[in-house]
Amino acid sequence: MSPRVIVAMSGGVDSSVAAALLCEQGYDVIGIAMRLASEPTTPVAKRRGTCCSHDDFEDARRVAERMDFPFYVIDLRADFNARVIDNFVSEYLGGRTPNPCVMCNREIKFDRLWSRARALDADYIATGHYARIHRDDRGGFHLMRAADDAKDQSYFLFTLGQAELSRTIFPLGTMTKAEVRERARELGLATADKPESQEICFVPDGDYARFVERQSDHSQIRSGRIIDAQGRALADHDGVHRFTVGQRRGLGIATGDRLYVREIRAASGDVVVGRREELNSPGLIASRVSLVDESIASRGEVPVEVKIRYRHAAIPASFHLESDGRAEVRFTDGGPAVTPGQACVFYRGDEVLGGGFIERALEA
Amino acid sequence: MAIYLDNNAGAPLRPEAGAAIARFVAEANGNPSSVHRDGQRARRMLERARAQVASLCGAQPKQIVFTSGGTESNNFAIFGAITATNNRRRVISSEIEHSSILGSLKELERRGLEIVRIAPSSDGRLDPARIVAALDRNTALVTLGLANSEVGTIQDLTTLTRELRDAGALFHIDAAQAVGRIPIDVDGLGCDLMTISGHKLGAPAGIGALYVRDAARIAPLILGGPQENGLRAGTPNLLGAIAFGAAAEAVRAAMPTETARIAALTATLYARLGEAIPGLKLNGSASNRIANTLNLTFPAVLGESMLIALDLEGVEVSMGSACAAGAVEPSHVLLAMGRSVADARSSLRISLGWNNTADEIDQVAQVIPRVWRRVADAEPAQQAQVG
Repeated sequence: MSPRVIVAMSGGVDSSVAAALLCEQGYDVIGIAMRLASEPTTPVAKRRGTCCSHDDFEDARRVAERMDFPFYVIDLRADFNARVIDNFVSEYLGGRTPNPCVMCNREIKFDRLWSRARALDADYIATGHYARIHRDDRGGFHLMRAADDAKDQSYFLFTLGQAELSRTIFPLGTMTKAEVRERARELGLATADKPESQEICFVPDGDYARFVERQSDHSQIRSGRIIDAQGRALADHDGVHRFTVGQRRGLGIATGDRLYVREIRAASGDVVVGRREELNSPGLIASRVSLVDESIASRGEVPVEVKIRYRHAAIPASFHLESDGRAEVRFTDGGPAVTPGQACVFYRGDEVLGGGFIERALEA
Repeated sequence: MAIYLDNNAGAPLRPEAGAAIARFVAEANGNPSSVHRDGQRARRMLERARAQVASLCGAQPKQIVFTSGGTESNNFAIFGAITATNNRRRVISSEIEHSSILGSLKELERRGLEIVRIAPSSDGRLDPARIVAALDRNTALVTLGLANSEVGTIQDLTTLTRELRDAGALFHIDAAQAVGRIPIDVDGLGCDLMTISGHKLGAPAGIGALYVRDAARIAPLILGGPQENGLRAGTPNLLGAIAFGAAAEAVRAAMPTETARIAALTATLYARLGEAIPGLKLNGSASNRIANTLNLTFPAVLGESMLIALDLEGVEVSMGSACAAGAVEPSHVLLAMGRSVADARSSLRISLGWNNTADEIDQVAQVIPRVWRRVADAEPAQQAQVG
């Protein structure tokens, strides 16, 4: 019997091709679309679409019909709400800038979906992520950047450990996006020319602030003052959730200097701004740190390259693991603005060693 | 080959219906309304089918109006009755009806009518006294399902007839799940309108009927020509109708033995599942139930997982209703019966039919407990978020 693999299908071109490739390789493929958010109701949301719209599921279903494998839609809305959306909202309310894709991978795709996969007697799960898994001679698993640098999504996958990697397949890891589209066309998949999906699927209009406000009580909104480093009030604001560290636009202050958000103090409601160079910090504290290979933990000071935002390049640094799941990360050549809430991912060359969630910047 | 246990969604085509379809393909050529001889022959086929359907429920052939299926019949009964009623503004129904009833009533409510929805008991039964209590001189229509599609509970509606007639209200029975499973006699039930579905009997989907006791008390929904006694315009679905007629006749002939056979298979399956799965619960009335239906709450698992896992093992069952995207929603019937959302999400409907064999049931009695153990072990329902 061929190994059974559950493919998480969004209706986009990437997961469509991932499923089709596994079919061609002889796996017993079962397509699963996860209903994570409720159907969009506003006309704008309908036009832009979300990851969970009816049309997307139909696109995925057409791929399944074309390649002749079973396909099901499963309802994970309650889990997604409890484990991803609630976290997203509370992080913003706490003055941090969350990365829900990391949480969704950790909590939904590689946890809930994996439980479902076992319930369906599957050996593996697969997704359309651009990342690679390498198995070494001693049976250890390594998470690697994708061959296509422009599409690499390994940043979002740093929470995966040996157990997860041993049962995961990323069929697109060695392909470029152009190759994926080309394969989709060759296979006659309806999704070949679908546009890229939104950055955050459950906020299709991109208005995070309004989303957070809709999802929370008025009493949770922390409004306050915009202040400078000396504590002088420059303006009032309607809530710390509207800001992210490093942000320049939309501060509502007219001054000669270009001002950036430097720090968000959720408890007092103060948003501290400063000039560009004042944002730089020598390092950061990360919490909830996980390592792909736990044995690294014993090595003290570990030289790595870190990526502290998805779209940033990795920069030289070293990290030191503390006992409570925290790590102190120091940038070798000084660093950029550090945004609490974002993922901090440790690389060595093309390999992901692990990562954590940024708690705060280190003081200069 | 998959083992099909979703007969309440639709029965496999009966061979008699298949043969009728083949005859249609070979012989039929014409519109039953046409004057020429081909038309006359088509008309004879249609009328024969009408008589076959009528005799399944004790009606006269002219009281049978062919429709596109149960949903149309329910819409026709409700909107047709309200259109034909001048000034009465109340409709009485229940919380456990089919979506075609619930949807129609919601629309009537939007138009300003008063809808009374009776809640069921925990085993899915409607108390006739509560229906009578809701009845007044303003009541235009009482519309109730005879056998519930999801839990199979059979309602005792015969005691209502007299009260309804005295109040001057029309009485519509949705018998889509009951016809062919229990003996039906429209006069015994005392209803004015009754919905019959074709594909629940083994005809193809796309054909159904509404029994209309008195054509003067209902208005057509589909207007145009004089077909179907002036109650449904448009060239009738002759292909569907003759298959429906053939299925109805086959059901009538088979019922005395078939019902008992299916009841025995269902009882065996329930007993064996109960032994293998501690804490398994039957939803719906244990005694007043169409004998083919088992609605079961499986402990510690999500029904959605069970449904998919069973499908992959070649056992086809169902759960609640599917949303537009294809995900399953918890059953509104179970929720109305007071089950928790978690229990409703852990429940599956198993419905047997005319072609299930003892061998199939034996296989299923082994597969379901095995799949349940695997799913409960891999994905216990307390881990999964419900709600």
